[in-house]
Amino acid sequence: MLKIIVCFKWVIDEADIKVSGKSRELDLSRVAYKISDYDRNAIEEAVRLQEQLGGSVVAVTVGPPTAKQSLKDALSRGPEKAVFVSDPAFDSLEPAQTAAILAEVITKNLEYDLIICGEGSSDLYAQQVGPRLAEKLGIPCATYVEKIIIKDKELIAERKMRDGIEVVSMPLPALVTVMPTINTPRIPSLKQVLGAAKKPVVNLSAKDLEGKYEPCLKTTSLLAATMERKRIKFTDDPQDIRKVVDALLKEGVIS
Amino acid sequence: MSDDKFTAIVIGGGPSGSTAAYVLAKEGLDVLLIEKGDTSGSKNMFGGRMYSHALNRIIPGFWEEAPVERAVTKEIITFLTEDKSVSVICQNDNWAKEPYHSFTLLRAEFDRWLASKAEEAGAIVATSIKVDDLIIENNKVVGIKAGEDEMYADVIIAADGVNSLMAQKAGLRKDLEPKQVATGIKQIIKLSKEKINDRFQVTDSYGVAQLFVGHCTKGLHGGGFLYTNKDTISIGLVINISALRHNTIRLVDLLEDFKNHPSIAPIIEDGEVEEYSAHLVPEAGINMKPQLIGEGFLVVGDAAGFVLNLGFLVRGMDFAIASGEAAAKAVIEAKKSNDFSKSALLAYERYLKQSFVMQHLEIYRKAPHFLENERLYGKYPALAANLLTKMFTVDGGQPRRLFGTAMNEIKMSGLSLAKLAMDGWKGMRSL
Amino acid sequence: MPGVWVIAENSNYTLELLSKGLEIANELNEKLVAFSFGNEELANDYISCGADEVFVLPALNRELPFEAYVPLIVAEAKKEMPEAIIVCATQRGTELASRVAAGLNTGLATGCISVRVDKGNLVMERLVFGGAAVQTVICTTRPQMAAIPPGTYEKAQPREDRRGQIKVVAGNVETKVKVVERRKKEQEEIDLTEAKIIVSVGRGFEKQEDISLARELARLLGGEVGCTRPIAEELHWLPEERYMGISGKKVKPDLYIGLGVSGQVQHVTGIRDAKIIMAVNTDENAPIFDAADYGIVGNLYDVVPKLMTEIKAALNK
Ligand SMILES: Cc1cc2nc3c(=O)[nH]c(=O)nc-3n(C[C@H](O)[C@H](O)[C@H](O)COP(=O)(O)OP(=O)(O)OC[C@H]3O[C@@H](n4cnc5c(N)ncnc54)[C@H](O)[C@@H]3O)c2cc1C
Ligand SMILES: Cc1cc2nc3c(=O)[nH]c(=O)nc-3n(C[C@H](O)[C@H](O)[C@H](O)COP(=O)(O)OP(=O)(O)OC[C@H]3O[C@@H](n4cnc5c(N)ncnc54)[C@H](O)[C@@H]3O)c2cc1C
Ligand SMILES: Nc1ncnc2c1ncn2[C@@H]1O[C@H](COP(=O)(O)O)[C@@H](O)[C@H]1O
Repeated sequence: MLKIIVCFKWVIDEADIKVSGKSRELDLSRVAYKISDYDRNAIEEAVRLQEQLGGSVVAVTVGPPTAKQSLKDALSRGPEKAVFVSDPAFDSLEPAQTAAILAEVITKNLEYDLIICGEGSSDLYAQQVGPRLAEKLGIPCATYVEKIIIKDKELIAERKMRDGIEVVSMPLPALVTVMPTINTPRIPSLKQVLGAAKKPVVNLSAKDLEGKYEPCLKTTSLLAATMERKRIKFTDDPQDIRKVVDALLKEGVIS
Repeated sequence: MSDDKFTAIVIGGGPSGSTAAYVLAKEGLDVLLIEKGDTSGSKNMFGGRMYSHALNRIIPGFWEEAPVERAVTKEIITFLTEDKSVSVICQNDNWAKEPYHSFTLLRAEFDRWLASKAEEAGAIVATSIKVDDLIIENNKVVGIKAGEDEMYADVIIAADGVNSLMAQKAGLRKDLEPKQVATGIKQIIKLSKEKINDRFQVTDSYGVAQLFVGHCTKGLHGGGFLYTNKDTISIGLVINISALRHNTIRLVDLLEDFKNHPSIAPIIEDGEVEEYSAHLVPEAGINMKPQLIGEGFLVVGDAAGFVLNLGFLVRGMDFAIASGEAAAKAVIEAKKSNDFSKSALLAYERYLKQSFVMQHLEIYRKAPHFLENERLYGKYPALAANLLTKMFTVDGGQPRRLFGTAMNEIKMSGLSLAKLAMDGWKGMRSL
Repeated sequence: MPGVWVIAENSNYTLELLSKGLEIANELNEKLVAFSFGNEELANDYISCGADEVFVLPALNRELPFEAYVPLIVAEAKKEMPEAIIVCATQRGTELASRVAAGLNTGLATGCISVRVDKGNLVMERLVFGGAAVQTVICTTRPQMAAIPPGTYEKAQPREDRRGQIKVVAGNVETKVKVVERRKKEQEEIDLTEAKIIVSVGRGFEKQEDISLARELARLLGGEVGCTRPIAEELHWLPEERYMGISGKKVKPDLYIGLGVSGQVQHVTGIRDAKIIMAVNTDENAPIFDAADYGIVGNLYDVVPKLMTEIKAALNK
């Protein structure tokens, strides 16, 4: 029976980010939130392994109280329990803090054989929390994993590296970070959505933590990455297409 | 509540559905609200302004917490010719005092908020789920199908908007005819708060609702609208589909022309298009009202055709909200006797009749027919604009008496006085 | 002197970091330390390219991954307390850096697009929100750590008169993670980053065969075919070296033509430096039109043939 923990993050949907005027300031006033893209793969992988091998899946997230909305979504994807560690100050954690908080919460509250994280979060894409967490817990880890096989107390993982596949083995308990190519996350059905509302959630707050986790990184600025473009739109009429070709000629980019 | 049975299932998390779910949940009933979008409102659009009265009765002082943009204090109606315009402006700052008369707002945020109110009140909200079908047993609607899943309820409320497949599946309505729907297109244009305040001469929280008749639709049955939000402008056109069918004009081009009109271009200058959307509007008023009640089944909001479309003005949010409330009240009553038959649900019609919903639709019953008159969108706006430009033009020539000028313009426009009088009379009776 | 450390998984990347490391070490007034893994000969190269000191770590057993060096590096850093550690952000480098940072309880900025020194701090810029924004961070703990992708800097050049020390670090490289198999991938011969014109295939294409349409356009213009991530990674219609974006190639062609590409920020981040961006998409709200100079709202299957006709006419081909 495999006890699996999956770590997921509730993030701003980057498609909703607007830039206010020429100042390059980010306008986050109308953004929606989502479960970080690759964490959906992480949850799916945890649930698939559990379906194959039996055992349990617990989803853990650290975030501000508003991240509570994520729990229903996460639980509708299959985990049977969620642990929600929240504090108003947790809306801008840096990876060192997140990993340290996760390490304390997991050590004190959960048993595990396997921890699954995403390759990187959609907002920070630091790719740090997974390996940092493994280091804090003193367990082996494999990053960029595309395939997981578990035999007895051993994990075999295929890592997708730039120059090819590397297959590694390690004893459990272990941590892996998964690539989006590892699976296609299921779309929760109505019954799964309704079922999620009834699943248990363990709520923890900063007060329940022993450590005081100060940030090691300080953000000194956050500005939109802008791009000056002409943004001229044309229809698919042949005359319009000719205009585009003329423009490309004039720009000197085709010859 | 047993595992897969609710008292009510509401299909669609727009304003009508969320309101129904909210009212039911407040009363302690088991209610499930199903919305196909990622979040309620994520794909919904409308012109831009909601009258407050309906929601204020259900959630008093809702503006304290709801994501509204600006309180409308200035109403403008503008008649357009190709290059001229005449506007009637009505400003009333009392409209921005409690209970605020109307607000501009953006649906993605507003609908999300209203659905969250229903959830807070105890409704179970399932998003990203599309209802595919109804489960009908012995002529009674008993549940819904979504993908592989079936879910049962004493009563199902169809709040799935203008194209309501659910009302069709329940056999309460037929496909819409082109004449019965208009299509609306809209852009949201980003403009700084300061520029909006400057150009429309309003302060931060005050806003403008401007409606256009005439050349913006190239004489077709429909109109233009412009609403000011906090730091964006909603601008668009609504055009009857049958009018559009007989023309080769494309809506997108019409909107571009509209934006380039000399009366519009300067007020949206430097604005960046942030979003583009299109949506249908039920147009035929009370005449297209489907049957509203079936065995275990109610139809609300746009699905029921509860929209007042006067060509230049579309009003549906307050009808959606009030009809959602009326349906919920009928279900609450039905629950008391545990009878959800068609006859028990007739209370819905009663509540509608008592409310402004039926009263207002009744008053405007003749409007759709009157509004089919093409003169309203071509000749009359031109007449008004030409008349007034003549009146204001001083060029050293012989001044003309206003009456003479008017008669002359009428003659030039090719309208007979009898027709004009007829249209005037009809308009007064139907609008 | 605690020093500025540079760590990379191979010698080319080490040389790249040495050129930047030298600048940082000078500004911080620190010595520059490079790491050589199981190869003492390289140590001299590193010294002539700017290192004041080279730590030579024991060679890896074949069944161990590079990341196995983490405990040794952590132990060494705890002894020496370097001021800054710069790691080459390959995949392995990023994992190694994260775990070293965790072992040292210190801050790390991964995926830096630029690093400079200000008042004793590394000021590090990195992309966030899929490339929609640039975050600037400094590290409040020591050692301060940055991971910088390969290819960011030119390799350091050797100089004759350089001298430095070599320190052989003894110890066992141990890990519970064993490599059981390595399957090398065939390398693509074309390098998209060098292409002058790129025709980019997005999910607007219905079938793999249809990519021929993009190929024809590319051939006509003398360009290469690239794609979005899902085309390469999910559909496997084109090799992974061909996708552009925050996790793919960053390209800088004269002309980028996106066909059926929606233009999500993660993709656009990779084409930001294109001189001209052109796009064809059926959805006029597609974000690609905000990123494009010239956009054609239309069906690619209809537009591309017309486009080729016009190009042929214009170029007399
Ligand atoms: C161009 C335009 C301008 C307008 N301007 C105004 C205005 O300025 N002021 C005003 O008051 N009104 C205006 N209206 C009218 C107003 O938008 C509608 O009357 C109002 O939105 C109706 O609300 P509703 O809840 O009935 O339907 P909708 O808002 O259409 O909501 C229906 C919901 O049901 C969901 N749904 C549909 N099918 C399913 C399914 N099978 N399963 C699950 N969910 C489903 C949809 O996703 C949607 O969220 C305008 C409309 C248009 C098109
Ligand atoms: C952390 C992270 C990193 C990522 N990194 C990358 C990256 O490096 N590179 C990358 O590319 N993506 C990346 N992505 C994925 C990215 O977010 C988008 O999902 C992806 O770029 C979309 O690819 P697409 O445009 O091909 O497909 P889609 O988004 O599906 O777009 C298809 C487009 O084609 C249009 N279309 C359909 N039919 C036609 C037709 N007949 N003619 C014309 N147009 C048509 C549609 O309107 C649509 O806009 C990343 C995502 C995450 C979360
Ligand atoms: N706040 C968080 N709560 C839980 N898990 C997280 C959190 N932040 C990051 N993670 C996990 O760590 C992975 C990598 O995140 P990052 O280091 O930010 O790129 C994510 O894919 C998640 O699995």
